[in-house]
Amino acid sequence: MSSVKSPALTSSDQEALQSAVIEVCEHAYFVFVEPCDAPQFAALVEQVRAERGRGPSGRWLNASVAFNGASAGQVDVVLPERLGTWLVVSLLGLPADATLKDNQLLDGVGEFANMVCGAWLSKANETASFTLDVPKVTRMPAGWAPDPAPPVDEQAYRTVVVNDLPLEVRAR
Amino acid sequence: MQTNSSEAAGMTPLNVLIVDDSATMRALLYRVVGLADLPIGAIYQAPNGAEALKLLEKHDIQAVFTDVNMPVMNGMELLREMAARDKWKDILRIIISTDGSRLRREEARDLKVSLYVEKPFRPEVVRDVLCQIASADVV
Repeated sequence: MSSVKSPALTSSDQEALQSAVIEVCEHAYFVFVEPCDAPQFAALVEQVRAERGRGPSGRWLNASVAFNGASAGQVDVVLPERLGTWLVVSLLGLPADATLKDNQLLDGVGEFANMVCGAWLSKANETASFTLDVPKVTRMPAGWAPDPAPPVDEQAYRTVVVNDLPLEVRAR
Repeated sequence: MQTNSSEAAGMTPLNVLIVDDSATMRALLYRVVGLADLPIGAIYQAPNGAEALKLLEKHDIQAVFTDVNMPVMNGMELLREMAARDKWKDILRIIISTDGSRLRREEARDLKVSLYVEKPFRPEVVRDVLCQIASADVV
C-alpha cells in the first residue's frame, strides 16, 4: 500500500460505500440488500454465532483490498462464510447446493470485495483513476465475530443484510 | 482452454481470450461468453497480461476481454504491448474493470479499446457486447 494518507472520510463517502455494496450485490450477484442498524446487526451476528458447532458456517471471512491513487487506503468486507459461499454460487450460476473448493470460495469473496472497493472509489471520485492490490481473504478464527458497535474513528462503515445474513464493510 | 462448438451459418467462429487474475471472474466471463448467440471457437484464459501475450503469440485470437488491475502485467500494459504490434491491430479489445474513471477510459481509448465495461456488470451486458461485435461484422 502507498504511503499517501487517506483523507478524512466524509458523509458522502459513507453513502457511496453503502451504494457500492448495493450495486455490487444487485448487479453482479442478483441479491437484494437491506441496510441494518447496530441492534439488528448484533442480532444477526448472534444468530451466526449460534450456528457454530454445526459446521463451518459459523466462521467469518475478512476480505481486504488496498487501494492507491488520489488517496490510499483499504476496504474490508466481513461476512459469514455461509454468505460468502452463497454469493460465489450465485455469481457463477451454480446450483444452490453446489460445494465450492476452498480456493474458489476465497477467490470469489476476494472478487466481491474488489468490486465493492472499485465501485466505492468510482462513486467517491469519478475522475481519478486508481489501482487495487490483489484482495487478501482471511478465514477468521473459530469463535471470532465482528464487534457490532460502530467504530468511533473516521472509518466509513456500513452494515447490511444480504440473504438474511449480516455483512459489514469498512473503508479507511 | 475449451471449445464451444456452436457455429452460426456464414460466420467464422470467434476465438476469445479472457484475462483476469480472479479465477472466479474468468469462470463468470467464460460462462457468459459461452451463452452468447454467436459462433464461439476457442476460449482461452490468462491470469495476467504476460500470460495473455504468450497466448496471443501462439493462437489466432479475435477478441480480448481484459481486467485492468492485475499482478505481473496489468491490463493497460498488455494493451500497450498489443498496440505496438501490427499483427494484433485488428483484435477487438474490451476492458472489464472496477476502475471506471474518466482518466482510465481516456487512456483505454488511446489504446484502441472498443468497449469499456465497468464491474459490477450484468452478464447480459457482456452478451450484448458480443452481439454488437457480430452486428458490426468485424470478425
